[in-house]
Amino acid sequence: MGLEDRRDQEPDVYQPAEDSQLLADTATERLTGDELVLEVGTGSGYVAGRIADETAARVIASDLNPHAVRQARAENVETVRADLVAPFRDGVFDAVAFNPPYLPTDPENEWDDWMEHALSGGEDGRAVIDPFLETVGRVLAPDGVVYLLVSSLTGVDAVVERAGEEGFSAVAVADESFPFETLTVLELHR
Amino acid sequence: MKESLLDILCCPLDKHDLELENAEYDGDEVVGGELVCTECGEAYPIEDGIPNLLPPDMRDETPA
Repeated sequence: MGLEDRRDQEPDVYQPAEDSQLLADTATERLTGDELVLEVGTGSGYVAGRIADETAARVIASDLNPHAVRQARAENVETVRADLVAPFRDGVFDAVAFNPPYLPTDPENEWDDWMEHALSGGEDGRAVIDPFLETVGRVLAPDGVVYLLVSSLTGVDAVVERAGEEGFSAVAVADESFPFETLTVLELHR
Repeated sequence: MKESLLDILCCPLDKHDLELENAEYDGDEVVGGELVCTECGEAYPIEDGIPNLLPPDMRDETPA
């Protein structure tokens, strides 16, 4: 990206960081065919763009944030403005990838802009992860998988347990440690 | 959006099929128009080539 593009870059969109990179590395490594893939909460479109560039999969990227879908589309990713998986048909996706907002946030300190929506997972860090786990099964193909990025700040065990309640078994397929958190990519199967 | 996206999308409210209406094209790309639910009739706008499939009560630009 040139300097001119950076200057115009949206301040309201989460830009790719270590978590995005780990999710993109893992998904591109594990997708092997011409899967149909959904990336939920695509933000800048980085993860979806890497999957599209590095695999034979067709990728659809969705986000709630109008600034994010515009930036992702500018990266040549097929985009839809959506609330999680609500506007997608039953059983269509071979894989769904999600780097959710996961930081536990004191309700007193919520700052209420698009960046908060991209980062904050509410008091327990799972305010977006839980509804995602409740609804993602509907759009997955019979052998479909979910790649979900989880931080130790949110609690991997709690997410695995919640996924189990929705009928998923979870395997940690990648992790990376940083000074303040460990990031894990869970692969969920039914 | 590509027209083939219609095979993947449904109405976020009742999960029925969507129909493309008043489509504007730029080559193969659908850049304007709306997606209308064949069941409930709710219309979802295509803005700058991006379908906005948020339920009507979430469609505002404001984050909250």
